[in-house]
Amino acid sequence: MKPQFLFPYWFRYLGWGCVLAHVPLAMIGHSHGMVNIMDIDPGQSVFSGEHIFFICTTLLMAVGLFFVAFAKEKIEDEQIAQIRLTSLRWAICLNYLILIISLIFITDTGHILELNLWVPLLFFILHFRWNIYRLNRSMREDAKVS
Amino acid sequence: MKNTIRIERAFKNITQAELAEAVGVSRQTINTIESNKYVPSTVLALKIARVFGKPLEEIFILEEKD
Repeated sequence: MKPQFLFPYWFRYLGWGCVLAHVPLAMIGHSHGMVNIMDIDPGQSVFSGEHIFFICTTLLMAVGLFFVAFAKEKIEDEQIAQIRLTSLRWAICLNYLILIISLIFITDTGHILELNLWVPLLFFILHFRWNIYRLNRSMREDAKVS
Repeated sequence: MKNTIRIERAFKNITQAELAEAVGVSRQTINTIESNKYVPSTVLALKIARVFGKPLEEIFILEEKD
């Protein structure tokens, strides 16, 4: 199998760490009166308080999900690659469906963009993990039968 | 496409895990190939045939519906 670019296996844990870390950061930020970058007036300077808050929370979560989604499995073979591709196609299709529906019915494009930051990655991870779980379950069932 | 991997493994007395290690895939992949749930690539099919020392057509057989 041709090697494809993926993060090492341990990036999965690093990714979940980033996703979990953004929760207390967001709570602390909100308690100190920080607002989402989407809710402030446009034209704020780069690396303003709100911008850094955005990087430490929403972007940290998106980067975490990205690491989880594209970290290698323990044994990365052609079947895993096929499941990965199927999940990616499924996630992109669903994301565009949600994007099109929300663009028709919602005018708040800023929040739609924010939603798009993590929706495809989350759908991809859910679909991919579900298929891996099904694969392992079918193997256990076959082992019981034989 | 059906295959005779399970029979060949029994002849050779090797486990799914051993075959998986020999061809560089996971045990799950060998299991799904044996159960006809997954069709391997040509490269993987050739590797499996080489482990059993037989031609590809003796391990993997096309069916009417293929």
